[in-house]
Amino acid sequence: MKKIVLLAFAVILAVLFLLPLIWMVSTSFKNDFEALAGQMNLIPVKPTLDNYIEGLKGELMNVPITRWITNSLFVGAAGTAIVLLFSSMAAFALARLQDLPLRKLMFPMFVGSMMIPGVLTFLPMYMEFNALGLINTYAALILPYSSGAFGVFLLYQFFASFPKEIEEAARIDGANKWQIYARILLPASVSIMVTLAIFTFMGIYNDFVWPLYATTSPEMRTITAGIAMMAQGSYTQAYGKLMAMTVIATLPVLIIFIIGQRSFVKAITQAGVK
Amino acid sequence: MTKSSLQSRFTSSLFILPYLLSFCAFLLIPILYGVYISFHNFELLSDSHEFVGLDNYIQIFTPGTYLFEQFTVGLWNTLQFVIYSVPLLVILGLALAMLLNAIPGRIRGLFRTFYFMPYAISGSVMAVIWLMMFDTNAGFLNGLLASLHIDPVAWLTDLPWVWVSLVLTTLWWTIGFNMIIFVNALNEVPEDYYEAASIDGANAWRKFVNITLPSIRPVMLFIIITSTIASFNVYAQPFLLTRGGPGDSTRVLLMNVLDEAFKGKQVGSASAMAILMAIIIIVISAVQYKIAYGRKE
Repeated sequence: MKKIVLLAFAVILAVLFLLPLIWMVSTSFKNDFEALAGQMNLIPVKPTLDNYIEGLKGELMNVPITRWITNSLFVGAAGTAIVLLFSSMAAFALARLQDLPLRKLMFPMFVGSMMIPGVLTFLPMYMEFNALGLINTYAALILPYSSGAFGVFLLYQFFASFPKEIEEAARIDGANKWQIYARILLPASVSIMVTLAIFTFMGIYNDFVWPLYATTSPEMRTITAGIAMMAQGSYTQAYGKLMAMTVIATLPVLIIFIIGQRSFVKAITQAGVK
Repeated sequence: MTKSSLQSRFTSSLFILPYLLSFCAFLLIPILYGVYISFHNFELLSDSHEFVGLDNYIQIFTPGTYLFEQFTVGLWNTLQFVIYSVPLLVILGLALAMLLNAIPGRIRGLFRTFYFMPYAISGSVMAVIWLMMFDTNAGFLNGLLASLHIDPVAWLTDLPWVWVSLVLTTLWWTIGFNMIIFVNALNEVPEDYYEAASIDGANAWRKFVNITLPSIRPVMLFIIITSTIASFNVYAQPFLLTRGGPGDSTRVLLMNVLDEAFKGKQVGSASAMAILMAIIIIVISAVQYKIAYGRKE
């Protein structure tokens, strides 16, 4: 009996959690008139694909949605690739290369940097990119994410626990540091790298505040920054169109999230436990 | 030092170099540059940056000045949000984790996905979805109230509903994160503890207070600190949902910092506000850490 009550409660909660998402999808198939009518129908009276068709043709509220989503995917992928490369090299050096100068100083400094609130670096970073003339470029959209220490921290733990014998055997066979990094450590860390990749991509893709301020022209916006612009503009009540846009924006991360949920959970619990 | 060991150290350094450069360029230098900017009358679109010493900070602490208003009103609104949201994020996060653990194993994963899914969504998407849900005339919530013959509520424009809306969206969006961390902690409590307590005749509540809570204490602390920091940095919700209103009542500190810089074009005073805000966040998390661990030792 107690089990059934709990389960019923869990189901009700699940419906509440999913409702806004279901409503988003439902509204995206309604025309603006129906979306504004305030009716409670989940299934549209006159279902329409117009919002999506207009969106993909760039005619939806005259904004280049396909360009925005391309920007987001490109910025997310490039940022993730850089994070994976930089973090894995740094973590390898910190965990494995005993003769690395200032090793004992750098690791706590990197880990400590994770405690620094973003508000401290936001404005000066903007001024830095502004001074370099790089505002409204892909460099501004991608590079700042590469300084995050989470990847270094996560991979350091993995690399540090990697058995020494394998590395020593390779060294006796004449392998140098680059070969040990590229041919032994990296292939052994595919799973943790996938975890880091999912976590990083979602973080970059979902960030809207930095791209909102770091871009000035419509065609440089990421989809999340673009949606933030729309939410402030004069289209705030064109719910059918807006929801088609948010469905398009959400689809890539939601697919990645559902496929990679296990990895994603692993990444945040690793960070949480330590 | 031999030539080969020098060369080896050089090679080792090359591995750290890309990340170290990025760390300096996008973290270390911005922090120092931010302090420099805060000592100047630094305008966004002008090239003359007059040195003003501690002037920006002094103004923030001088009652009656514009900066004092911006900072204190923003801080007070932010603190209100922290007070309303953090206890719920922690308590309901734990409750959700315990509920999840009570669900039969085979379907547990499904429910975890449902509760956690909103966390995967961008802040701007989250805000637009809830703009629609909260819409006074066409929104889902008022539609629901109407079918129950209850008058519509101005969720995004009237006090105290604006706070209810902001906290509600925050819970929906982020509580899954806390749930996941709590589930992980609950699963690490040794099963024998509960069995021993059962033999001693302890009921569910006693087990929760005497076994569960003490066992998950460090994780609880982690959640309290991360939730406090996250709520202090609240931006997407008031920026896009209530737009700081009604009046200035939900204008949070981060909104005032960014508006001072990008609308007011005063990056110098905005940086001073940003630095003070960062110090407050760091001090509060340090105090929480001290209280929790100071008692334990």
